[in-house]
Amino acid sequence: MKIKHIQHLYWRVGFGILPTKLEKLSKKSKKTVVNNLFNASKKVTPLKLDTFELDDLLSGSYEKNRTNIKKFQMISRQKTKELNVAWIDRLTNTKELLREKMTLFWANHFVCKDNNYVYSQQFHNTLRTHALGNFKDFVMAISKEAAMTKYLNNKQNRKRKPNENFARELMELFTLGVGNYTEEDIKESARAFTGYSHNLQGEFVFKQHQHDDGVKTFFGKSGNFNGDDIINMILENRQCAKFICEKIYRYFVNDVIDKNHVNAMTDVFYTDYDIEDVMRFMMLSDWFYDEKNIGTKIKSPIEFLVGIKYVVPVDFKKPKQLLHIQKVLGQILLNPPNVAGWKGGRNWIDSNTIVMRLKLPSLILNNAYISKTKKGASDVAMETKKQVFKKNFGKYFKTESNWNHFNNQFKNVNINDLENHILACNMNKAADVYLESLSKVSKQEHCVQLMSLPEYQMC
Amino acid sequence: MRATDVITRISNVLIMDRRKFLKQSSLASSLFLVPSFVKAFEQVTSSNLGYKRLVIIQLSGGNDGLNTVIPFRNDLYYKERPTLAIPKNDIIKLNDDVGLHTNLTPLKRLYDNGHLSIINNVGYPNPVRSHFRSMDIWQTATDSDKYLQSGWLGRYLDNYSKHPYSAIEIDDSLSLAMKGDTINAIATQNPKAFYNLSKDPYFKNIHNHQNDIHLSEHNLGYLYKSMIAAESSAKYIYETSKTVSTSKEYPNNSFGKQLKTTAQFINSGMETKVFYGSLNGFDTHVNQLNTQKRLLKTYADSMETFVQDLKDNGTFKDTLILTFSEFGRRVKQNASVGTDHGTANNVFVIGENLKKQGLYNDMPSLSDLDDNGDLKFEVDFRAIYATVLNKWLEVNDEKILNKSFKQLDFI
Repeated sequence: MKIKHIQHLYWRVGFGILPTKLEKLSKKSKKTVVNNLFNASKKVTPLKLDTFELDDLLSGSYEKNRTNIKKFQMISRQKTKELNVAWIDRLTNTKELLREKMTLFWANHFVCKDNNYVYSQQFHNTLRTHALGNFKDFVMAISKEAAMTKYLNNKQNRKRKPNENFARELMELFTLGVGNYTEEDIKESARAFTGYSHNLQGEFVFKQHQHDDGVKTFFGKSGNFNGDDIINMILENRQCAKFICEKIYRYFVNDVIDKNHVNAMTDVFYTDYDIEDVMRFMMLSDWFYDEKNIGTKIKSPIEFLVGIKYVVPVDFKKPKQLLHIQKVLGQILLNPPNVAGWKGGRNWIDSNTIVMRLKLPSLILNNAYISKTKKGASDVAMETKKQVFKKNFGKYFKTESNWNHFNNQFKNVNINDLENHILACNMNKAADVYLESLSKVSKQEHCVQLMSLPEYQMC
Repeated sequence: MRATDVITRISNVLIMDRRKFLKQSSLASSLFLVPSFVKAFEQVTSSNLGYKRLVIIQLSGGNDGLNTVIPFRNDLYYKERPTLAIPKNDIIKLNDDVGLHTNLTPLKRLYDNGHLSIINNVGYPNPVRSHFRSMDIWQTATDSDKYLQSGWLGRYLDNYSKHPYSAIEIDDSLSLAMKGDTINAIATQNPKAFYNLSKDPYFKNIHNHQNDIHLSEHNLGYLYKSMIAAESSAKYIYETSKTVSTSKEYPNNSFGKQLKTTAQFINSGMETKVFYGSLNGFDTHVNQLNTQKRLLKTYADSMETFVQDLKDNGTFKDTLILTFSEFGRRVKQNASVGTDHGTANNVFVIGENLKKQGLYNDMPSLSDLDDNGDLKFEVDFRAIYATVLNKWLEVNDEKILNKSFKQLDFI
C-alpha cells in the first residue's frame, strides 16, 4: 500500500502513524492493512476506574443514597475528570485503534452526560462495546442506558404524562435526521417508551405500571408498540442508514458530502446495519484515497492533542491542566455542549482556539520555544531562551516530554523528510519559503516548527 | 454627557496631546509624529460620541430569584420556605411589598439613583429544568424544543459587525451566546497573555508575504484567515486597553477582576459593542443561605464599583448592563435547606437613562403555579433581547432572533 495512503488511513481512523510502523505496513496490500485494523479491534477492552466507594453508596437503599448525595456527587465529579484523563491516555496508547476512534465518533453521535459517575462510565463502555457492532443492537442498548433515560427524560416519560424528549432526539439526532417524521410520530412513539427506567445501580428497569400499553400509530402503522418496536420500524426506513452514512462520511472522509459515495455506503449499511461492514467498505474504496480527501479536514481538539502526544509522549504533571487545554480548545471529553454534540469542522476554529492550537505544541513540548534561527547560523542562545521561557510559561503547563522516544521513532527519517511524517497536507508557499530560510537545528526543533503551523491542524 | 461636554473632553485630549507633541517634537522629527497625533484625535471622536455598549452578566447555576427580590408581604413566601425565607427585618425594602436580599445594599443605591430596573417573572414557554439546556435556550434565544448552534450575540456579529473583537467574553473560552454562524467573538481574561501567545514572529513570517490568492476558501485557507484575524484582534485589544488603568478598588475575586477588565476595555474607547461576564455557583440545592449570601455580595459590590468606574470616565451613560440566570428556583424549599431547579426569574437592567426605573412589572404569583410547583413566566426573555437589540444597539431584532417579539418599555 502506498505510504501516503497508509498515512491518510491512519490519520482518519486513528491519530497518525509513526515511521517505524509505517515502514512495516508499506510492504503490505491495502486489503491486509485494513483487515489488520479490524482484527486488532476485535477485542473490547472496557475503560473502567475503581468505583468501590460509589458502588458502596449505591448498594443500599435509596435512603442511603439520598443522605450521601453530596459526597456521591463530589466523588462523581472527581472520577469524571479521572476518566477524561484515562480516556486521552487510552486514545494515545491502544491496540484497538479503530474501535477507540469509533468510540470517540459515537460519543458525539449518541450524545449524553450524567452527574452520576457509575452511570456515565457504564454508558461510555456501551459505546465501546457496540462501536463496530450492529447498529440496531446499539440503538436499543442506548435507549436502555440509565444515563440516557436520565439525560433525555425517559425516566419522566409516563403513561398519560408523556415526555417527548427522548422520542424526538431519537429520530432527529440518533437515527433519521430532522424532517423525516411528524410531530404526531413523536407523540405516539413517546408513548411506546413510557416505563423506561433504571435501578440505583444503573441497570435497566421496565416499569410495567407506568407503561402505556394502548394502541399507538407510528409511521402509518397501528399496534401496541413498545420501544424496541419503534426502533425496528425506524430502521426499516432507508433514510436511517443514509443519515448514519452521511455522518460517518463527514467524520472520516470529507466535510462535503459526495452523494454517490454516500449512496454506495448506504447500500452496504442498509442490508443489516453492520457497522464493521460499512467501515470496511469505506476504507477499501478507491475514493477514500482521492486527493480531495487527503489532508483536507480540520482536526478536532482531541485529534490534535492525541496526535501530538502520539508523536512526542508528554506527561501532564497536573491532570487539571490537560482538562484546561481541552476547555480552551473547545472540546472537553465527557462534557459535550448539548445533545446535538460538537458541530466540528470549521466550528472548532475561532480567534482563541487558533492561537492556542498554534502555540500549544511549543508550550507543552518545548518550553514555548519555536526556533527561528536563520539557515547557516547556529542557535547559540537556544538553551538560555528556553530557560527564560520556561520561567515565564512554566506556570501555565507543567509537562514532561519524552523526546527520546521521538528520536528513536524517527531515527531513520531524514530531517528534510520530517514534514511528510508530521503534516498531512502540503505546506502553503509562504510557510514553505520561510521554513526553507530557517536552519533545521535538530529533528526536535524542526518537529516543533512543523507542529506550530496551520497545516498541522489538518488531517 | 452632553454634546458640549464631549467637545470639551476632546479639546482637553487635544491640548494634552499637543503639549506632549510639542515636547516630543523638540527631540524628534515633527513630521514623523504628526500622523500618530492625528490618529489619536480620530480615535477619540469615533469612540466617545454615543458609542453604545452592552454588558451581559450571567449568574450560572440558577440564582434563587425569590430570595433576591423578595415578596416579604406574601405569606406564601414564608409558608413555603420556613427555614429558608429571609426574615422581614433583614430585607432591604424597596416598597411596601418588595425588598432586596440583605447583601444587596449597593444595588439599592443604584435603585435609588434610578439606575436599576428589575424585570420580574422572566422565562419562556415549556421551561426546561436542566442547567445546560436552559442555558442553551437563553444563549441561543430559541424555543425550548429547538436546537440552534449559534448564539444571539453571535448572530448580532454575523449581521452587524466586521471584527471578532466587536464582542468580547471575559473568560478563557467562548460561550455559545457569542458564537455566530460565520463569525465568533473573542474570549480573553488577560489581553496581555492573549497577545503574547499570538505575537511570536514565527506566526507572522509564515504568512508574511501571503496574498489573498493563497487564502482560498478551503479549510486551510480558513485557518490562515482565522490566524491573521486573531493576531490583529489580540494586538488591537492589548494595545488599546493598555492605554488606561483604573484606580478603583474592585473586590478581590474573579468576578471583580472580570468587571475591572471590562471597565478597562470600555474606558479605553475600544470599539467593542458587547461584553460578556459570568459569576458561577448559584446551584444551591443544599444549605443555600450562606452560599447565596456570599455570591450576591460579590455580585453587588463588584457591580457598584464597576458602575462608579464607568461614571468617573464618562462611559456609564453609553453602557447598558443586563444580568440574568438560566432559571429561578422552586417556590417551596427542599429538605436540605436549599431549593431545586425552577423556572421564571428576575432580570436586572442597569443603566443611566432607563425609561422605567425600579420595578418594571409585578412580582410573580406564588399561588398560581405549574404542575411542578414552579412560577408561570410572564415576560419572555427574548422580548428583553429584542428591546435591547432594537432600542439600544439599534439593529433589526427580528433578523437576529428569527422571530418578532413585542418590545418592552424599559429603555
